[in-house]
Amino acid sequence: MDKEQVTLTIDGKTVTVPKGMVAVDAAKTVDIDIPVFCYHEKLGPFGCCRMCLVEVEKMPKLATACTLNVSQDMVIKTDTPKVKKGRNGVLEFTLLNHPLDCPVCDKGGECPLQDNTFEHGPDLTRMEYNRAHHDKATPLSPVITIDRERCIACQRCTRYSDIIEKDTALVMLNRGFHNEVGTFNNEPYDTRFSGNVVDICPVGALTNTQYRFKSRNWDLKNAESLCAHCACNCNIVIGTRQNRFMRVQAKSSENSVSNDFVDDGWICDKGRFGYQFLESKNRILDPRENGIGDSRAGVIETAKKVAASFKKIAEEHGPDSVGFLGSPFGTNEELYLYQKLFRLGLGTNNIDHKLYADSPGLPVDHYDMEDVESADLVLTIASDPTEELPILDLRLKKAVSSLGTKLAVLSDQQTLMDCFACHSLRYNVGSDGTVLQSLTDGLGKKGFKKNKGFETETGIESDAFKELIASLKKSTKVCVIYNPEKLTGDSVHILKSFLTALDKNSEGTCGAIPAAPATNALGAMDMGVLPDYYPGGIPVSNAAKIRELWGDSAPVTEGASASELIQKAESGELKALWIYRCNPLVDFPGGAKLEQALKKLDLLVVHDMLETETTRIAKVVLPSNGPGYDEGTTTNIGGRVQFRKRGIVTQNPADWKILGAMLKELDIESDYRDSFEVTSEIASTVPGYSEVNRKNLRKFGHQREKVSNPKVPESKGSSEKAPDKNALRLRVSNYLFAHDKILDASSSLAHHFQTSSIYIHEDDAKSLGLSSGAEVTIKSDWGEIKAEVQVNNRCNPGGALVPYISDEQGVASLLNPDGGPTWVTFKN
Amino acid sequence: MKLFLTHNIDTKDLHSIKVYKKQGGYGSLEKAFAKKPDEIVQMVKDSGLRGRGGAGFPTGLKWSFLAKDVFPRYLACNADESEPGTCKDRVLLQKNPHLLIEGMILCAYACQIETAYIYLRGEFYDLAEIMDKALEEAYEAGYLGANILGSGMNLEMYTHLGAGAYICGEESALLNSLEGMRGEPRLKPPFPAVEGLYGKPTVVNNVETLCAVVPIMNEGPEAYAAVGTEKSKGTKLVSVSGHVKKPGNYEIPMGLPTRDLIYDLAGGIRDDNELKAWIPGGSSVPMLPASLVDTPYDYEAIAAAGSMLGSGALIVMDHTTNVVEEALRLAGFYMHESCGKCTPCREGTRWLHQILSDIHLKKGKESNIALLEDICDNMSFKCFCPLGDAAVAPVISSIQNFREDYEELLNLAKAGTAS
Amino acid sequence: MFTFSESSEKQIEKIMKKYPVKRSAILPLLALAQRQDGYITPEAMVEIGKRIDCSPAYVQSVCSFYTMFYTKPVGKYVIQFCINISCHLLGCDDLLEYTANKLNIKVGETTADNKITLLKEECLAECSAAPVMRLNDTYHTNLTREKIDQILDSLD
Ligand SMILES: Cc1cc2nc3c(=O)[nH]c(=O)nc-3n(C[C@H](O)[C@H](O)[C@H](O)COP(=O)(O)O)c2cc1C
Ligand code: SF4
Ligand code: SF4
Ligand code: SF4
Ligand code: FES
Ligand code: FES
Repeated sequence: MDKEQVTLTIDGKTVTVPKGMVAVDAAKTVDIDIPVFCYHEKLGPFGCCRMCLVEVEKMPKLATACTLNVSQDMVIKTDTPKVKKGRNGVLEFTLLNHPLDCPVCDKGGECPLQDNTFEHGPDLTRMEYNRAHHDKATPLSPVITIDRERCIACQRCTRYSDIIEKDTALVMLNRGFHNEVGTFNNEPYDTRFSGNVVDICPVGALTNTQYRFKSRNWDLKNAESLCAHCACNCNIVIGTRQNRFMRVQAKSSENSVSNDFVDDGWICDKGRFGYQFLESKNRILDPRENGIGDSRAGVIETAKKVAASFKKIAEEHGPDSVGFLGSPFGTNEELYLYQKLFRLGLGTNNIDHKLYADSPGLPVDHYDMEDVESADLVLTIASDPTEELPILDLRLKKAVSSLGTKLAVLSDQQTLMDCFACHSLRYNVGSDGTVLQSLTDGLGKKGFKKNKGFETETGIESDAFKELIASLKKSTKVCVIYNPEKLTGDSVHILKSFLTALDKNSEGTCGAIPAAPATNALGAMDMGVLPDYYPGGIPVSNAAKIRELWGDSAPVTEGASASELIQKAESGELKALWIYRCNPLVDFPGGAKLEQALKKLDLLVVHDMLETETTRIAKVVLPSNGPGYDEGTTTNIGGRVQFRKRGIVTQNPADWKILGAMLKELDIESDYRDSFEVTSEIASTVPGYSEVNRKNLRKFGHQREKVSNPKVPESKGSSEKAPDKNALRLRVSNYLFAHDKILDASSSLAHHFQTSSIYIHEDDAKSLGLSSGAEVTIKSDWGEIKAEVQVNNRCNPGGALVPYISDEQGVASLLNPDGGPTWVTFKN
Repeated sequence: MKLFLTHNIDTKDLHSIKVYKKQGGYGSLEKAFAKKPDEIVQMVKDSGLRGRGGAGFPTGLKWSFLAKDVFPRYLACNADESEPGTCKDRVLLQKNPHLLIEGMILCAYACQIETAYIYLRGEFYDLAEIMDKALEEAYEAGYLGANILGSGMNLEMYTHLGAGAYICGEESALLNSLEGMRGEPRLKPPFPAVEGLYGKPTVVNNVETLCAVVPIMNEGPEAYAAVGTEKSKGTKLVSVSGHVKKPGNYEIPMGLPTRDLIYDLAGGIRDDNELKAWIPGGSSVPMLPASLVDTPYDYEAIAAAGSMLGSGALIVMDHTTNVVEEALRLAGFYMHESCGKCTPCREGTRWLHQILSDIHLKKGKESNIALLEDICDNMSFKCFCPLGDAAVAPVISSIQNFREDYEELLNLAKAGTAS
Repeated sequence: MFTFSESSEKQIEKIMKKYPVKRSAILPLLALAQRQDGYITPEAMVEIGKRIDCSPAYVQSVCSFYTMFYTKPVGKYVIQFCINISCHLLGCDDLLEYTANKLNIKVGETTADNKITLLKEECLAECSAAPVMRLNDTYHTNLTREKIDQILDSLD
């Protein structure tokens, strides 16, 4: 329903806006700038700074424009003598005890206080007393510095902590003139989203410690880009000076305009403070052959040489003797070109980028992130937004606490979202297949009946389950968010039948957000970096369509999956493997053990940004510039395609350029002059991407059309009994600040690093004789790692939860390579 | 003189329900229950009763503003009594707690409220104990709880203690405090009658206001309105303090000349000194010179004289007083009590205090007076809540009416620097 | 570690019943903790936060707004001495100084034996019986030097 519109006058200009809009925002629509400090569009009216005084006809007193809801025929004046005197007075009060720090203040040049004073303030101070004193510049956390003398008590930061973060960790302490921003008992303010307060503080009271004194704001070059840490693809502004990285800010109303389809103007701390990798000493800068780096050997020359070698091997041993192991970290353009290179240049579908089962496409609408706010029920399945897709966590909290959305959490582990949920159901690790099947059936005619077998197998109480089904049925808009990576075996296919059932049986509309955490997880699927699908979700079995789009030489037999590629390396069937931004020696089942298999290859090429365990053993290493340097598009979990602009310029060729050269080397036409030309090619060949073009990418990006929905494969089912009564079923969970190649030891987020822990249920602790604090070795059929036991019921009995906290911990090595259950036992 | 609130206040053990009932206590309930809630609201309107907490808003009208058909609704009795000079509510709380309970039941009935809180300032711990005891008695006697006197009306009533913050007397800050927040005032609108306690329609009334509803019910609105002036009806309990011979709380008919209040009831100025200045309604209203002492003590007359009746706290100063010193004292109070939410009040109260201190310490400059006036102007009506305006009142009125006191100190300062 | 005593727990039960929203109990709970320990420790704030589903920072934020909550130890007796206008007109400054001298401390301090803390306060709402002070929960009015002597001498 459209909101009622009202027409009013501001400074003689006629304005028509929705009723109830605050005057500050109404004025903005006609370019009248009313000065503010405390008002922030995402925090709502508060009215404490009094900066925005305006005169309203028929009101005796000046009114604050940030709290004034406009109404029909209102007459507002923003520049009368009365208003000027009022603003002047307010600024005088504001500056009364504000130090004269501008020359040394990090906010200088982008400071609302400075700007407002210049525009509306008193010329001279009439204050003759010593300004109030406070400790200058003390750490509020390892990444934020607070200078309380500069604080003007606008309460933006504290309201943010309360209203947006929902932590109330940063608060106003004391009263009156002694008001100060602080934390409980002076503990550090180190939440996952703390850095946003730096952006919204209207003065230099809260500053980015990394950035302190590094540059003056007017010397900065700012590039509107995207965060590449997770699949939210938040909009960021990268500030550089003389081509050196300086800082990251959220793209918001403070510096531009926020992208409400994606991040609502906020970013998480990983996105803000986790960008030191851009200048890491572990960056790969030169190509390297047989362990010998050569800065004079051109990257392109080397790449062309290796491409030719691959071609030769393919010709000699058949196309399936080569393979490509990609990753969800590349841009759409990079991934698109890689699959093209392997499919058309080398004739193989031995292409993959992931270990979990999933296929492109959804049987229901693909919802944008913004849809969680208009949904009346959001159901998360096996998803842990807080650790995996932080901004989704913020958006969900906003939806639940101020927009009336209900949240249902269906997971095998306790998450930080649970306390916001009205249904919080925890299933036994590994029982997701059964749960999803019962949900599908429950929505159908059969319905769901109270059932002991179900309860024992899944650990979910029948009644709670019934309530969930009832809620799903009667909601007007359901948004299902699932993390395919954390579903067992191929139960993602059951999940998709559940979506179909939901669509059919719920009273309202529904849609889904596939929420795999990696930056371009969705793009990688869309771009067909898969052994069984071409770009746009065209299955290899659809030979006719493939020939039409890709020509007669395009291979139409299913290729080897990621884990099959490794097996084939081991067996010798695979002769050459190209690894792109992927580190199997840490992230694949078996971990370091895979070195044996990879060493059997005739040719191992790794194309990556940072040195890894895998680059160490590669025959050829090629540098990839990665985010910050290379441009391209990525597709976020909401299917929104956005352009990732560069912040820093490098001499090394961009990946799309390297790929273009290699394609040419293999006689495939390619004359891309910039990444956009690749984007255009994607638009013309990838179903769903036809509208993705320069114009549509501007500003807020463009939601690609839902990738065509091939028939969902049948699930093979995966219920399995423990092999041994002392074995628990492993669930690897995510931790936002894992100590990996990106957040290395020198990261300013290192204070968040955790030690290896395993969480088990108290029942199991008892029967296994384990207690909190015990150091154990966890063993599976594929590997072993060390961890400290925490008994705290984060998962049901029978499960063992291990957060991925560092590369060194290597928990992924324990996992079952075929995606099936992983059983673990313990050794003290 | 016709008294409505304190005619029997000195009856021994009036605070016990037994004695209170013997005096006819709780007799109004039966009468009320025989009427419709709206009729009660009308009676209160007809009585002309206005809020006794400070703003003087017509009580019946306030009750009629409650958001229609939104339930539950709440009643919060404002027993914060922290306006300097004011100590009248405490008399009622201490000596006649059941009168307040009865008044609150009437209000709750008229406004269809089922939960009521009495918000007492934290220092009133002893009074809260008295109130709690009285509440217990009232529950036992069936005046509170479910189905009161078989009327079908339910009412729970509780005390709630603040913890030291003048601003919590301001109704929206009071509601925040009652909800467990910092006592910062809320944005208005929405007003409490629409979105108050827990976001629900809420009546906030002062202790004295609620007590006055009982005689209005018992004796009829006409009887109440018969006392006082045309626009200021009934009686007012006035706290007289300062340089008088018999300070105390006096219930007077509205419109009594202030002179009578000071010279008859309060016994005149101590040591038969000369009256110099008087503050009619607590620290937040402008102080007036002796020349206006014949002003009738009612809302309109005092407003016409340039001040406000406020909470009904008459502070009397004799000729030995240097008014600047008292203005400084009050500036210190507002600085201490500013919640700090808004800039003009947080910064302005401190600045005023700094300048007044200088003047008082004979370190002032002539330009200080104009500066004080301009700071006051920059604060007036530009703060988030009325506390900021209140803070200005003693300063600006002392400059207007007693400039010579400032000049005396400034001259001494000049002499000091000269020597 | 902070724990509410058994009798406090009984009161808490009553307090929690007063309000439809737990957070409303914050002032009563802080007051209770203070009654128990004399002042409010960070541990008490954590515990109170748990009772009302609020962060410890929130509890501290609220606690620090109100002047009657002490976050540092105070004496067995706390004197709140009114210094506002009505008391001032009748000589409270002199009496306050007298009291401080007698206790041999400055205003705001606690005697060496931790017996008495002397604080100045704003208006205590007993203005027509000025000068006024509050000693723990009891008001003393119409103060004179003699009266102050008597009161202080009677404290054990
Ligand atoms: C700073 C400030 C302090 C106040 N203190 C009190 C108070 O202590 N007691 C009171 O009854 N009203 C006080 N008020 C007035 C209340 O806001 C409110 O108007 C009153 O409780 C309404 O009740 P009434 O209509 O019965 O007077 C104060 C107002 C302000 C602005
Ligand atoms: S620190 Fe900044 S954002 Fe926070 S209250 Fe102070 S000025 Fe406002
Ligand atoms: S939520 Fe994801 S994309 Fe957004 S800032 Fe954080 S890590 Fe980056
Ligand atoms: S005027 Fe402003 S600072 Fe002063 S009490 Fe009201 S809201 Fe608080
Ligand atoms: S911006 Fe309007 S009061 Fe602060
Ligand atoms: S001024 Fe001292 S009690 Fe009111």
